Amino acid sequence: MSAQNNCGDVLLAVDNINMAFGGVKALEGVSFDIREGEIRAIIGPNGAGKSSMLNVINGFYHPQEGTITYKGETRHRMKPHLVAASGVARTFQNIALFKGMSTLDNIMTGRNTKMGCNVLWQALHFGPARNEEIRHREYVEYIIDFLEIQSIRNTQVGRLPYGMQKRVELGRALAAEPDLLLLDEPMAGMNVEEKEDMCRFALDVNEEFGTTIALIEHDMGVVMDISNRVVVLDYGKKIADGTPDEVRSNQDVIDAYLGVSHD
Amino acid sequence: MSIETIFFFETVVSGLMTGVMYALVALGFVLIFKASGLVNFAQGVMALFAALALYDFISPDGWVYALFGFTFPVWAGIILTIGVMIILAWLIERLMLQHLVKQEPIILFMASIGLAFVLEGVGDILFGSDVKPLDIGIPQGAWDWAFDHGFYVEKLDLYAAAVAAVLVTVLAVFFHSTRIGRALRAVADDHQAALSVGINLRTIWVIVWSVAGVVALVAGIMWGSKSGVQFSLSLIALKALPVLILGGFTSVPGAIIGGLIIGVGETLAAVYVGPYVGGAIENWFAYMLALVFLFFRPQGLFGERIIERV
Amino acid sequence: MTEQALDTFPKLLQRNAERFADRPAIREKDLGIWQTWTWEQMLHEVRLLACGLAARGFKRGDTLAIIGDNRPRLYWGMAAAQCLGGVPVPAYQDAAAEEFQFLLEHASAKFVLAEDQEQVDKVLEVQERCPVLEEIIYDERRGLRNYDHTHMHDFEAIQAQGREFLEKNPGFFDEQVAMGKGSDTSIILYTSGTTGRPKGVVLSYDNMVITARHGVEFDSLTENEEVLAYLPMAWVGDHLFSYAQAYVAGFCVSCPESPATVMDDLREIGPTFFFAPPRIFENLLTQVHIRMDDTARIKQAAFHYFMGVARKVGPAILRGASVGLLDRIKYAVGYILVYGPLKDTMGMGRVRLAYTAGEAIGPDIFDFYRSLGINIKQLYGQTEAAVNITLQPDGEVYPDTVGRPAPEVEIRITDEGEVLYRSPGVFQCYHKNEEATREVKTEDGWVRTGDAGYFDANGHLKIIDRVKDVGRLNDGSMFAPKYIENKLKFFPHVREAVAFGHERDYCTVMINIDLEAVGNWAERRNIPYSSYQELAARPEVNDLVEESVARVNADLVEDEKLAPSRIQRFLILHKELDADDGELTRTRKVRRGFIADKYKEIVDALYGGRSSCHVETQVTYEDGRTGTLAGDLEIRDLSPASEKESFRKAS
Repeated sequence: MSAQNNCGDVLLAVDNINMAFGGVKALEGVSFDIREGEIRAIIGPNGAGKSSMLNVINGFYHPQEGTITYKGETRHRMKPHLVAASGVARTFQNIALFKGMSTLDNIMTGRNTKMGCNVLWQALHFGPARNEEIRHREYVEYIIDFLEIQSIRNTQVGRLPYGMQKRVELGRALAAEPDLLLLDEPMAGMNVEEKEDMCRFALDVNEEFGTTIALIEHDMGVVMDISNRVVVLDYGKKIADGTPDEVRSNQDVIDAYLGVSHD
Repeated sequence: MSIETIFFFETVVSGLMTGVMYALVALGFVLIFKASGLVNFAQGVMALFAALALYDFISPDGWVYALFGFTFPVWAGIILTIGVMIILAWLIERLMLQHLVKQEPIILFMASIGLAFVLEGVGDILFGSDVKPLDIGIPQGAWDWAFDHGFYVEKLDLYAAAVAAVLVTVLAVFFHSTRIGRALRAVADDHQAALSVGINLRTIWVIVWSVAGVVALVAGIMWGSKSGVQFSLSLIALKALPVLILGGFTSVPGAIIGGLIIGVGETLAAVYVGPYVGGAIENWFAYMLALVFLFFRPQGLFGERIIERV
Repeated sequence: MTEQALDTFPKLLQRNAERFADRPAIREKDLGIWQTWTWEQMLHEVRLLACGLAARGFKRGDTLAIIGDNRPRLYWGMAAAQCLGGVPVPAYQDAAAEEFQFLLEHASAKFVLAEDQEQVDKVLEVQERCPVLEEIIYDERRGLRNYDHTHMHDFEAIQAQGREFLEKNPGFFDEQVAMGKGSDTSIILYTSGTTGRPKGVVLSYDNMVITARHGVEFDSLTENEEVLAYLPMAWVGDHLFSYAQAYVAGFCVSCPESPATVMDDLREIGPTFFFAPPRIFENLLTQVHIRMDDTARIKQAAFHYFMGVARKVGPAILRGASVGLLDRIKYAVGYILVYGPLKDTMGMGRVRLAYTAGEAIGPDIFDFYRSLGINIKQLYGQTEAAVNITLQPDGEVYPDTVGRPAPEVEIRITDEGEVLYRSPGVFQCYHKNEEATREVKTEDGWVRTGDAGYFDANGHLKIIDRVKDVGRLNDGSMFAPKYIENKLKFFPHVREAVAFGHERDYCTVMINIDLEAVGNWAERRNIPYSSYQELAARPEVNDLVEESVARVNADLVEDEKLAPSRIQRFLILHKELDADDGELTRTRKVRRGFIADKYKEIVDALYGGRSSCHVETQVTYEDGRTGTLAGDLEIRDLSPASEKESFRKAS
């Protein structure tokens, strides 16, 4: 049930990204693009710089060198909340939910970038702000239905099992109606059934909402199954880029995964 | 009713009013602590600062009169002071918080002590250090109805209680059911996640500090109307600490209830126990109470116990 | 039209659309909000669907298979097929593709109405092997956009076709409905059956409508009832309570938001009429206890105090018996403080009537609900009887009997003790399985239940066991092992029990304690143990179990027929019975014969005079290794005298 090749124009391109923490180089001259409507996987062994790459895209890190072109505009040093406002939503490897809040409230925060009313109306909780709240609540209910999490709508997320938290986090990202969805190891630590559900959701999101997805994942079976194109990083460098089949047969990739020593 | 009973009730009521004061200051603490994990030592000084600013807008002894020859009416003075507090919040974010992102709590705490000194100094330079009677037209004197029934209750105290109740209700609604309230809670919970959903941390901090500033203003007005605007106002910040231990650092209702318990407790202790231990008991009783309380409920009365699965 | 002329569900639907036009007929929680359709709106939806089906070629006698959770649209599918003179066949939503294929093939389903992608995928998987199958209709379009739609249709697309069809043939729908009659097949329900292929029970409109009508009268149900439809649509209980009776009485049925939200939905809907198997009542009670353990001590104290009051006087108040004034006041206070809030959180605040059936319910659980003032009753039924065989009338509710014959039901007990019945609800036949039909249904309409039972002194039926399991003691009296085992298993510290007695002089029992329950119990009393075996050998534990056995005996001797089966000796087995060792089936049913062989020496010891027995047993560990367990087991005798003693202590 792999996704169709329905990719359009380039949505985001990273060009020659260099990034170091102190003396440690995390990313070295990485360039690739993400096309509209595709599921793009970023894979690589541990410490290959995958999460750093995601953090660069979403504005948590600012690379020392290189450019990011998103929707045709090249940007420099953009703040995370502005990146979010421009239509990029993400999930985290170690789940970053608002643990003291309910599932519903968590997903409502995902609507943050879509809410326009000013502070004053908000403070009064009246008039346009009220109508707006109702409109957003409707959308959030749609997400809850989509992810089949009705039963935990009012549960404090800190009390939920791990797999459910992952799902709520996806819901919060979806609530922003993102153009680009970044998933950082969405299936890590899940059992087989939860993984299947998550795969189905990723494909459904891609199909129903037309959302472009970039995901980091360790489970090769999952990656090969659901992604259109795969970019492979190793020690901060790009070593391969192509369709799952191309990547699978690439000798560098095989070496990297088998741990062949670097010259 | 016997004279003793009446006296007891009057003591309790006056203790409650002191408690409202403590609660208001503690409330400011809780707001800022929730949003940025910072124990704001300067909360008391902010109350002093706000009261001083208000005094200067509306009193003929103030700056505004000295410079321009007129004073603002009370309502305009309050609005202007709120404006001052918002500017102050903005400055604090710009000059201080922005540079302290991701620092240890202890460093933030030290910074807030620094902030307290700066504000105190600036207040001193700008407004002078003498006691200033603040009169914004809250009726003074005994509450007639109670007086007719044999009680002595200050009208001012009644107003203070009413204003505090309204403030707390408004804040509760604000936090619970508005987008900004939700964003505030989100920031309190997880900074990184809040950023990723497009919440601007800096805006949130300015809002929180502004709200804390408004709360400080209310506390400053009440305290100032009662005993004049003076330096000792900044010391009630210290009393807020036992209140927070009692109520829990993260709970708004906790701050209110904690404040009332401490207020009543220390007034009663001062009246009934004080004579036997040589007075000044109100200076340390609150801390004793908090200490005892820590034994039984370290997270405070209403402190959040977030249950996490491992 | 007279009531009697309303002999099919489509005709009842038309009647309801007039009489209860603006009253709610069905609800569903969608996107967090309860959506409601009135009877008039529901008729409209069903009419469009039926016409759409007709437009796609669905004819009289055709079969519509339905698979999915309880959803209004799936219920409408049932009604629409019936309007056209077709037969709906609901399938269990968790059926595997192969099981579903059997049903599709066996019932010759021409159309399938599936809830969502998951169910559609099942159909597609087996489609090639079902040549009769023509069209697939789905309710939830999510994920199905890119599927081949030549023979697959969105529910709304079918209704749109129905609208066109209706414009061209305005009289069609009413004509079709008028053609239906009571003797037509209304539905085929497949029973899972423990062995072999499922059997399709063919029920006519008369079967369902008359049974439903009797049920409505028996419990005075009105159009004001609220029911939550959460049990599988393929199960006869749901079909009677959420469909047939709703159509007859005109009440509203609500569909839960999702299977996981049932408990929340229950609370929001507040049903007045509630049906659940004992398992659900048990789970609800467990949840209550878990939540109580988390609350403040003062609340716990109030809970326990008032539950004590309730247990003492609640059932009596419900029965209408006289209760002292003080107790009444206590009960009233308890109602405000405990019972009311408790019922609300369980979603039972408005329950006027609740039924349980399917298996025996623990008397403690049963009493718990009745003491809260919830009128929970038992019934005994079968798919083949369109459910009701016996019902407990109000005021005559006992935990261990299943009530009196339902209206118009005749019951006969054979010499072997088997329960037979004859009623207007008796099914037509097993679909395409004449042999099986002949096995259970006699020429003159009696149906064998396969259950052994008898009427007690009150005239209430008591079901004790499957007929094939019932044996005889040497003195010729009846021996019902499962009945005894179940009674023991109602005690939380008894996990499994195996009763022996067939062709013996008396009854003995082998017991498995529940390691968790007894372990907790032992920890609270500072009784040390390191393994199941050690715990089972503790004299204190033996005392504990003896008390339970004595209480079961006290029940048994009260019943004339069962008195000879009084348990005379028992022992606690040194190891837990395990499916890996072949002692249990995979569904955790005791394999009595196998155990009797494997533990022959123990059984012999139980019937010998000794007070202990030495054992060595081969066991299989979880990693596949085998080992030997050895030890001496204590065997206890229960004399009638010592029993009275320990029973008095226990109560």
